[in-house]
Amino acid sequence: MEKNSHSGVSRRKFLQKLGVAGIGATSPLFISSCSGESSRKKMKVLTLDNKLIEVDATELKIAKASNDKSYLQQEGREGIKGKKFVMVIDLSKCRNERKCMKACQSAHQLKPEQHHINVLEMEDEISGISYFMPKPCQHCNNPPCVSVCPVDATFKRQDGIVLIDNERCIGCRFCIAACPYSARSFNWTDPRDADKYKDVVYNVELNVPQKKGTVTKCAFSADRVREGKLPYCVSACPNGVYYFGDANEDLVTNGTTKETVRLSKLLFDNSAYVLMPELGTKPSVYYLPVRTNNS
Amino acid sequence: MPKFIYIIFGLMTCFWSAFAQEWKAPEEEKENVSIRLFDNEIETEGGVLFMNSCKSCHGSPTQEDFSLMLPSPGDLASAKVQNQTDGELFYKIRAGKGAMPKFGDALDQNEIWSLIAYVRSFNESYKQPEPNLEGVVIPNITLNLSFDDNVDKLVVKTLDENGNPMPDVTVKAFVKGHFGNYLLGKSRCNELGIAYFDIDSKMPGDEEGNMDIIVKASKGFGSAKVTQKMRVVDAVSFKSAIEGRHLWSVSKRAPYWLIVTFLSSLIGIWGTIIYVIVGLPKIKKQS
Amino acid sequence: MMDSAEKSFKKVERDLLASVNWGVKSKVWMGFLLLLLVVCLFYYVKQLRNGLGVTGLNDIVSWGVYISNFVFFVAASLIGMLISSVLGLIGFKWITPILRIAEIIAVSFAMVAGLIIITDMGRPERLLNVFIFGRIQSPIIWDIVVVMTYVVISLLLLYVPLIPDIALCKDKKKGVPAFQRWIYKVLSLGFTYKPNQFKLVEKYIRILAVLIIPVALAIHTVTSWLFAMTLRAGWDTSIFGPYFVSGAFVAGCAAVIIAMYFFRKSYNLQDYITDSHFNKMGKLLVMVALIYVYFNINELLVAAYKLKSGEAEHLQSILWGHGSPMFWLVQIGGLVIPFVLLIIPKMRKPLPSLIISIVILVAAWYKRYVIVIPVQEHPFLPVQNVPDYYSHYTPTLPEIAITIAPFILVLIIMTVLSKVFPVVSVWEAKESSVEEQNR
Repeated sequence: MEKNSHSGVSRRKFLQKLGVAGIGATSPLFISSCSGESSRKKMKVLTLDNKLIEVDATELKIAKASNDKSYLQQEGREGIKGKKFVMVIDLSKCRNERKCMKACQSAHQLKPEQHHINVLEMEDEISGISYFMPKPCQHCNNPPCVSVCPVDATFKRQDGIVLIDNERCIGCRFCIAACPYSARSFNWTDPRDADKYKDVVYNVELNVPQKKGTVTKCAFSADRVREGKLPYCVSACPNGVYYFGDANEDLVTNGTTKETVRLSKLLFDNSAYVLMPELGTKPSVYYLPVRTNNS
Repeated sequence: MPKFIYIIFGLMTCFWSAFAQEWKAPEEEKENVSIRLFDNEIETEGGVLFMNSCKSCHGSPTQEDFSLMLPSPGDLASAKVQNQTDGELFYKIRAGKGAMPKFGDALDQNEIWSLIAYVRSFNESYKQPEPNLEGVVIPNITLNLSFDDNVDKLVVKTLDENGNPMPDVTVKAFVKGHFGNYLLGKSRCNELGIAYFDIDSKMPGDEEGNMDIIVKASKGFGSAKVTQKMRVVDAVSFKSAIEGRHLWSVSKRAPYWLIVTFLSSLIGIWGTIIYVIVGLPKIKKQS
Repeated sequence: MMDSAEKSFKKVERDLLASVNWGVKSKVWMGFLLLLLVVCLFYYVKQLRNGLGVTGLNDIVSWGVYISNFVFFVAASLIGMLISSVLGLIGFKWITPILRIAEIIAVSFAMVAGLIIITDMGRPERLLNVFIFGRIQSPIIWDIVVVMTYVVISLLLLYVPLIPDIALCKDKKKGVPAFQRWIYKVLSLGFTYKPNQFKLVEKYIRILAVLIIPVALAIHTVTSWLFAMTLRAGWDTSIFGPYFVSGAFVAGCAAVIIAMYFFRKSYNLQDYITDSHFNKMGKLLVMVALIYVYFNINELLVAAYKLKSGEAEHLQSILWGHGSPMFWLVQIGGLVIPFVLLIIPKMRKPLPSLIISIVILVAAWYKRYVIVIPVQEHPFLPVQNVPDYYSHYTPTLPEIAITIAPFILVLIIMTVLSKVFPVVSVWEAKESSVEEQNR
């Protein structure tokens, strides 16, 4: 009953960590033939055809799908079938703690002045009461930024996520001009910690490493979402502001309480709205208005 | 004057007993341990409960954002809390004291253990103690799921190892979602070992009308969990978000009207340009 | 009679071919331009190395003087179409001596406009992506295609009428460098002044003159769509196409008048580009300026009357906010006053019209600045959590240098073209002198 008592399970876990057993057919296990210094350490590993073999520890090279750029590009452009990701932001819960912004900036290698998500202080036009409004990319269903891109560098996927491929972006910044939500940012100079990320394989779903002279934007944490995890900002929020989920399931999960609720009911019960509906961009981000009785 | 001192002394003892005195769990409960493994699932379950039941006073663990009241609720990741045994924590949650509610009324045993699992997840050095299972009767629960489409209800039958109905089992049913499970309801089986759960027929399943239904049941130390794909709602067809030809589609899926307009003007104008360029050498022939 | 015609032919040839040489003066001028260009290129290398961060651009104002400069260059290049094509097809004869000047302006400005776009790119080395992955839904692709098309047609429209003159240069200009003689030989296409050859040349000129009209309208309309196709308040308007085109003619006419003045002065062309040409160009400028004023009123009044939420903020800023001094200086000082002055006949003499044209051209440049930048300073959502300077764009020194470079490049191209080829069409000048004598 103790954590380490299941020896079978823990070996499995160990193999998964090596990226051998868990990833599947896309990740062959590489055994490099030449090894510099031979060590006496032997390791047992599982091959794809379920045979246990013993190899020298130094010969074991970790092969993961996440190291293969063309695979990441293909999977990143396709998106996840049958999904339509949406976010719901409950404004009455936001206390401007900015944990979302920090988590986002550290995950996406952004500088402090670059925002994929930005918490804005807004003023209600009628009452004059001010409130805080987190503003990620709206992942519009009629995305003006994607329309104007000259090279397909920014694109919309079948699951509704709008991504940017900074391996292709030419840096014309037409998308920045076209976005009415000011949701995009540009790498005017070398990105933050450029040296540290120098050898990282580019993942279009994470848009890291960032590149000088290219546009960057909120990706709805497509890399996390693929693993069934909530986006960086959503999980970082301490106040339960964010709900994230799949509109096709009609379920959204709160990032803080992990409570899963019906999307349609949540939106209807709280008179949800979208930003600037008159522009016809059809955002995938919904806002629940500020209410005093629930703050 | 001495009377006054007595009053003060009396009041002090009152306060002392109210909050300054250490809150102790009965010895016999101190060594209680969970018989379930504190895995990710139970931690997540506890997390949800924590947000709804505990966070308002205790704040988020490690964040030191508990509310200011006396006695102080304290941060649950602090050493003061983490140094207590699982049994002590269980007792305190179950029994409550003063401003701390008696959660034993609202939560069942497993739920309280899941809360402890969540709180322990903030303690790196914590090792879950091994339970002593000698002499403990662990009921073996078998779950049988079916769907009654006349009333749109999920029917859960709980059976013991001999196939007889098992009454008084706490049953929770969920719909599996991409990021979390949606709670359909929580109920207790009737004497026939049956629990019903409403399923909104408007809720979308997959393209065949299937839903992944998760049912968790517990009684005493026994628990069971079943995940089953069930046909419970009408089939829906999901539209890809990029279906059709739009101005924002990738270049291969540009709208036809645009392709036709673009190519015909391009061919028309460049055709004329090429006609002129090709014709220019004729000047030489004319001489 | 025949004798005098022969004589005037000789004079025409002598006058117009006189400028086709490389004198000391023109070499010094070219050296000066090249030196300036090298200085500007130094800054461009700096931008290549350090990224667009060397400019004053930021996430809020992400299009700056490079883009407004691009719009200006496209605008100036449009005049070639108006003069050589529209006026020519209508049948105005007075334009003959300034046709080539207008075409030289069109070619040089359009060619350089394409280069400006490259300086604005964050990743110029990925330019080929535009051809590999080009999306025909993007106005940028339309713009690239149409600019290239316009450059080609303008080059042809410059070259085809030049063929007889190149043949003339080949025969008369024996003293030029060998390379230049080789160019004459190749480009003259064996032209030998046969009537059939003239007919062919005139036929192609007519085809090109017609073809360039839609392309020229497209080039500037598409450029305006770079803005009008977005949802930004202040750009989101359907009048931008004609508004930009009419504005382009104003800038182009001013550019032609300035070029006329300097070519006339330095190449001694007083007998060909006369005061009457300045007079007529002045009148043309008044006409296009009136049309432009009309579009300005439409563009501003319609928005200012309704004050829709997004537009109100932008209009407030340019009409009486912090952007207003520049706006009113450009509108009143750079458009209204100059064109009112040009109504007075005396102001259409060469020197006054030169000064007025310079004012108009400078104002036309700033007008593009006013169209491009203030709109971005007022996005729909508040500008927060970024440095304060983000909503107040100021170009930096490298940026200004890289903005000046295209002007130097245009002057270089214009100088080279006018030194290698006669800047006034010799054969057409002869034709009109014959017509004058026959009258």
